[in-house]
Amino acid sequence: MSDELRIPGRKKHARKPEPETDPEFQIAPMIDILLVLLVFFMSITSTEVLQSNDAVDLPVAKEAKEPKKGANAGQMIINVLHNPISNASVIEVDERNPTPNELINTLQAKVASNPQYRVLIRADKNVRYEFMRSLLENIGKSGVGNVTFSVVDKEDTSKKSS
Amino acid sequence: MAGGGVSEDGDVGFQIAPMVDVVFVLLLFFMASAGSQVIPRELTINLPSGASASPDSVPKTPIMIDISPEGQVQVNNKPMDNPMDKNLPQLREWFKETINKFGDKDPVIIRPDPQARQERIIDVLNAAAAAGVKNLTFS
Repeated sequence: MSDELRIPGRKKHARKPEPETDPEFQIAPMIDILLVLLVFFMSITSTEVLQSNDAVDLPVAKEAKEPKKGANAGQMIINVLHNPISNASVIEVDERNPTPNELINTLQAKVASNPQYRVLIRADKNVRYEFMRSLLENIGKSGVGNVTFSVVDKEDTSKKSS
Repeated sequence: MAGGGVSEDGDVGFQIAPMVDVVFVLLLFFMASAGSQVIPRELTINLPSGASASPDSVPKTPIMIDISPEGQVQVNNKPMDNPMDKNLPQLREWFKETINKFGDKDPVIIRPDPQARQERIIDVLNAAAAAGVKNLTFS
């Protein structure tokens, strides 16, 4: 403090900080927040979301039950896609299209290690029964007793195309 | 004024009121979008598999449900409900009466036509689940 200010009888407010311009753009805190958000979203992604194919238009069933939380330790999610032009269906598991034999072998291996292994079938609403029957037969051959169909509780208004 | 600080030289300080307003708007937005979300549900069936197959004690008379390619549902060869009707009220009534009279141990076997749609099959499974049918299987 310079001496000139210590004149008695002359009060002055504490020295004002110099008027600042807008704070500079600081990128380091922004990147920290970005990394925190990234880690957060990575931690809440579940494998069930990754294995579900979005193109499957699930049928609506209002009285279906909510999935139990603990039951998903051993389950395989089978997406059944339907092609309306060729009227053909195809199964998709973990982004691959296994042949029936591959499916039976995989399921048998899983059931051998986990007798409570279950299968969750996400079938499009337009899939024909002949395809479902062969799929259910193959699943039955593998020894899986616990088969569940995935449905939704109301119409998905955001998905309506035609 | 509460929440805002205006320091003496005119710089605007930390304003909490607009922040709270923005938080409320965000809250309302997420409440609205959560209501229209579809939530996946599940319907279980029993498959006759090698692992869990148990010898049948007394074979009861199975209830046969047929589904035609157009979606017409028939119970023991008696047609029920309009093919366009998703709720299947007659089928549910019939299930309830049958369970009241004979209990829910009778096996219900669904025999859809090979060209029947999965949607119609799920409608039947839904009606059966609503009526309390326990022993449901495909043939």
